[in-house]
Amino acid sequence: MLLVFWITILKEQNWMVNYDSNSLLNTFLIWMLKTDRSSLKPPFRADYYSSYCSYTIQTMHRWKEMETRLALPAGKVTIEQLCKSGNSGVMPSSLPQLPITVEERFLELPDSHQIPVDEMGNPLVSPYSSYVANTGNVQTLHSSPSGSSSVHQYPPRLPHERHTNANNTAINAGNSLSTYSSHKGAFQASTNNFSKDPVEVTWSLDSVQGILNSDDDITGSNPIQSSSVMITHDLSNQKEWWNNIENEDWKELLSDMTAVESQPKVVYPAAQTSQNISVLHSQTYQSVPCHSGDLTVVTSPLSTTTAAAVKPRMRWTPELHECFVNAVNQLGGGEKATPKGVLKLMKVEGLTIYHVKSHLQKYRTAHYSSDSSEGTSEKKATQSEEFPALDLKKGFDLTEALRLQMEVQKRLHEQLEIQRNLQLRIEEQGKYLQIMFEKQCKSTMDKLHVPSTAEEPLSASSDLPTHMTIRTDSSIDPKKAEESFKQVVTKRKMPEVDPSSPRDTDAIISTTSSSAKCSRAEDDEL
Amino acid sequence: MKFGKKLRRQMEDTLPQWRDKFLSYKDLKKLVSLISATQPPCSKAEAHFIHFLDAEIDKFNTFFVEMEEEFIIHQKELQERIKRVAEIYGVGGSQPLEEKYEAEMRKIRMEIVNFHGEMVLLVNYSSINYTGLAKILKKYDKRTGGLLRSPFIEKVLKQPFFTTDLISRLVKECENTMETLFPAVLDQYQTGEGGERTLIMAEQVFRNTVSALVTMKELRKGSSTYGHFSLPPLSLSLPDLDLLQSCMLPSPITIV
Repeated sequence: MLLVFWITILKEQNWMVNYDSNSLLNTFLIWMLKTDRSSLKPPFRADYYSSYCSYTIQTMHRWKEMETRLALPAGKVTIEQLCKSGNSGVMPSSLPQLPITVEERFLELPDSHQIPVDEMGNPLVSPYSSYVANTGNVQTLHSSPSGSSSVHQYPPRLPHERHTNANNTAINAGNSLSTYSSHKGAFQASTNNFSKDPVEVTWSLDSVQGILNSDDDITGSNPIQSSSVMITHDLSNQKEWWNNIENEDWKELLSDMTAVESQPKVVYPAAQTSQNISVLHSQTYQSVPCHSGDLTVVTSPLSTTTAAAVKPRMRWTPELHECFVNAVNQLGGGEKATPKGVLKLMKVEGLTIYHVKSHLQKYRTAHYSSDSSEGTSEKKATQSEEFPALDLKKGFDLTEALRLQMEVQKRLHEQLEIQRNLQLRIEEQGKYLQIMFEKQCKSTMDKLHVPSTAEEPLSASSDLPTHMTIRTDSSIDPKKAEESFKQVVTKRKMPEVDPSSPRDTDAIISTTSSSAKCSRAEDDEL
Repeated sequence: MKFGKKLRRQMEDTLPQWRDKFLSYKDLKKLVSLISATQPPCSKAEAHFIHFLDAEIDKFNTFFVEMEEEFIIHQKELQERIKRVAEIYGVGGSQPLEEKYEAEMRKIRMEIVNFHGEMVLLVNYSSINYTGLAKILKKYDKRTGGLLRSPFIEKVLKQPFFTTDLISRLVKECENTMETLFPAVLDQYQTGEGGERTLIMAEQVFRNTVSALVTMKELRKGSSTYGHFSLPPLSLSLPDLDLLQSCMLPSPITIV
């Protein structure tokens, strides 16, 4: 693939080379190709990705087909109609699962908003049911009376509740595609957070049942079922492994959605761990456990209520990996080591066997593919020995080319880092200004409500460089105030944007703060 | 060039297995138009939108963390390999064979450079997706008069896919390793021919082009709609521009 791509590039560019250079070219081509191959993912992964991609594309095509068949709706209608289509108080039964990744599920979800629904809710049913059929749901379906009363629970919310409601509706949207009974417990637990809408969570789960009921006569489902069968066959090799991974990903994903704070669920080993691990460096092949009492597992409150095998997303670090490698080597190498053994040896809190399993798999493929590439390189070495003179020359110029490539990459990385810092600072400052503004608003409101008291010392916040003295009426609503805030911020930010020394983050920051100070006067005028 | 197009080009040029991991900017834009077309901010519609975004973010996170893990493993492997090669074939090793050593080292160098490139591309991936998210949120707020942007972006900033510190650290370590692995080749290089050099550069065009293209895209990042949250325009100094252009532009080169 790379070869073809590269050849076409060269052909397009019409490089004129003579014959000798052509053969040189070919040798390099082959060399590069081989090298690239070794750094590419191993065959099984490539297979998986290709089948995954094709499956994803297929699924998306089918969604698109369905869309075109049905007319486009008003966007907001979907969930309401979904409610109407039926529900009950029946527990959804646990459903078997195909090794479909989480991404696929959510690839399908975005299209759902475009799927229209008529009064009976029938067209809506078909895509959902075919989706469910997709996931291999062949359980017995419970009959479900329609819970139309719950529909009325969906009136528009007050603005200040919007965020809560958004979360809630997000839960509902997610629930409508959920097919795990274990999650019902989670979602019901989450209702404790949203005390206003206890019914909604239940009915949306139940609406899935309703959808499943009318599954039978849907025409669209058959081809998808057959394709899902095909895909199962393709992925059967990795099924067990993927089942485990996905189970956890899916559960953790859903609990991500339901988390109020939406914290990223990541395992971050603390900084102290690295010191401990560096001590280990000098002690290879010894049974020193990895001291990682500082390993923190950041999970949402819901994960404790979900089923046992929940796996928060694991973020590996080089130190942790070092620990892992030591454990593996102690157990006799990549092939002999078992996840359980490694887990025991590592003695890292919060690390589950699933983490270790998947990591071990990755390790094995990386380790043994690099070994095989070393083997092939020996052959190359003998080849190059035959042409030492040529090889030396090749070597030097190749190194130079690599240097250039490295330079470009370094430059790109630099720019990316600078950009990222800028983005962080900009957001920080925006947030900061907003806080200031809110404080200002609040104190102004207070002033208006309590006119007899002396003027609130706005200068109490004088240690802060920005001082917004926007006069707001008591009748002003938050939104308008926000807009005027934005205008102020725009004025403030414009001078910041002009200086054209973007490479120096510090310069930007200093200009920002100085411009902020300068524009204090502007604010006073407002 | 509009962001959507830029993103599309990035996706085309990037490594094939990454193509579907990027932000579905177009779909999100469609959703925004749909939402704004129907009626003023409806909470359900907003919920849809948020849900879509969350799904995208999770996609990024999963991919990013996985790639990060693989990079960690790969880096360790490379280090081990370097050690092994040095031990076996290097000076004072068990079987000191300069040619073999050189050959292995060359191979390793190439791998390291490519590895470095991949990591930088991952950082770029993170950056592009963040930009896309910021843009789509801005668009949403603009079209629907919502106030979704700020709290959401705050959340995004904390996501694993955006906290690229570890990868940056790996990149720097890689660069340091490179420094040690590119020893006094400079002296010998100076006797090399210029023409051959350019030819050999072409061999690496694949990786180089990807990085270079990406960098060029960064160059063109002047924003048409300056807002209070926009980045200042980016520009590389002239020598770099020339370098990039010489890499990219098709030029007939005769080699004797």
